Amino acid sequence: MSRPDPLTRLIEQLQRLPGIGAKGAQRLAFHVLKTPREDVERLVDALREVKDRVTYCSTCSNITETDPCFYCTDDSRDHRMICVVEEPENVTAVEKTRDFKGLYHVLMGALSPLHGVGPDDLKIKGLLERVGKGGVEEVILATNPNVEGEATAIYLAKLLKPLGVRVTRIAMGVPVGSDLEYADEVTMHKAMEGRREV
Amino acid sequence: MPVYTSEALILRTYKLGEADRIVVFLTRDRGKKRGVAKGARRARSKFIGALEPMTCGGVAYYEREQRDLVRINYIEPSRSPLSAIGGSADLLGHVGYFAELIDEWAQEAHADERLYRLGSSMTDAIAQGAPVERLARYFEYWILRLQGVYPAIAGCPGCGEVFEHGAVMPPRDDVFLCRTCAPPAGGSALGSEALQFLKSCGAIAPDRLGSLPLGTRAAREIETVHRRLLNLHLDKELRSTRVLREMRK
Ligand SMILES: [Zn+2]
Ligand SMILES: [Zn+2]
Repeated sequence: MSRPDPLTRLIEQLQRLPGIGAKGAQRLAFHVLKTPREDVERLVDALREVKDRVTYCSTCSNITETDPCFYCTDDSRDHRMICVVEEPENVTAVEKTRDFKGLYHVLMGALSPLHGVGPDDLKIKGLLERVGKGGVEEVILATNPNVEGEATAIYLAKLLKPLGVRVTRIAMGVPVGSDLEYADEVTMHKAMEGRREV
Repeated sequence: MPVYTSEALILRTYKLGEADRIVVFLTRDRGKKRGVAKGARRARSKFIGALEPMTCGGVAYYEREQRDLVRINYIEPSRSPLSAIGGSADLLGHVGYFAELIDEWAQEAHADERLYRLGSSMTDAIAQGAPVERLARYFEYWILRLQGVYPAIAGCPGCGEVFEHGAVMPPRDDVFLCRTCAPPAGGSALGSEALQFLKSCGAIAPDRLGSLPLGTRAAREIETVHRRLLNLHLDKELRSTRVLREMRK
């Protein structure tokens, strides 16, 4: 018996998701087939709503429902400080520490020669424009404490310093080689507190 | 299920599922392997700090029947490019370049101890903050030579003359000729300083590169011919080459 086309298409689409292989996609597809119609519709709605309502902030590239985002428009935050992170998830990690009251800039990755990610693939131009406009006094580089994150931080520091801004790098209290996405509050707090000028 | 332990060089990793990573590594004695490091992305994983490309260390893994992916028990890093943190962005960027080149040439299920030794000597040189430009040219020279595709640099295959005043790699060819034998136009030239550097590369360890002079112009000449040789033999341009070029702009 050959497999109905719609099922094949679903498996193909699921397989394109990160971390899902052929077997996983097949398992999920058969799960969808068994699931009551209302549940599937809720999933479809959620997917559509994410694409309709959630976007990236045109200033800092964080994920947001309104553009510019909540952080960029909040006057009670310190607009003289920008914390640079690799991914939107890292904003959450820094926010958890409750020490940082400045703004963010999400690079959408790190420089990765191995994976073909270069400066033009990251939101670096936007960062330089923000700092170039003036009013920013400190840029905190909170990229991951691994080879790629460090290369990114050094690369950015070289571009930012001529703009007359203080550039700092978070302390390596975060285990070297780790991913900030998984750092706990205490570690993240120590990293921010112990940041040093570069 | 037999457990293997080996010295190995980490080449690259990919995210797998929720918290795991696929690790590509070159063992000293059993070729290139791909394996799963369970939970590698969690905050307190035993793999933290052990999975950076070009990390050298002891790896224990077991092979599972009819599966391409081995299962990695542990990696005990002995030397790591993380020691170069604080170095230049160019040096850290080259970590990925070295790893990509080794990954391109290393074969699965085919032991290549010399390639392994070249890779691990690069890790040492990176950790010691070796001059990155010279290190990169040295590495390219050796990796091409280990593959048996480095053209002769002692003398001209056209007339047998010893290269005294430089050599030329003609367009669409992968040999070095003397200026008399080379076609009159085009090609990539190597001056005598560049040739001298390449000859010395064949005789010293990478940790001694600091004492080997290489001017900007000679370095560019070597980079150009190496780029041509690499693109020719790999039949493509490496991703890391493009990124490094963008980073230098
Ligand atoms: Zn924003
Ligand atoms: Zn000749």
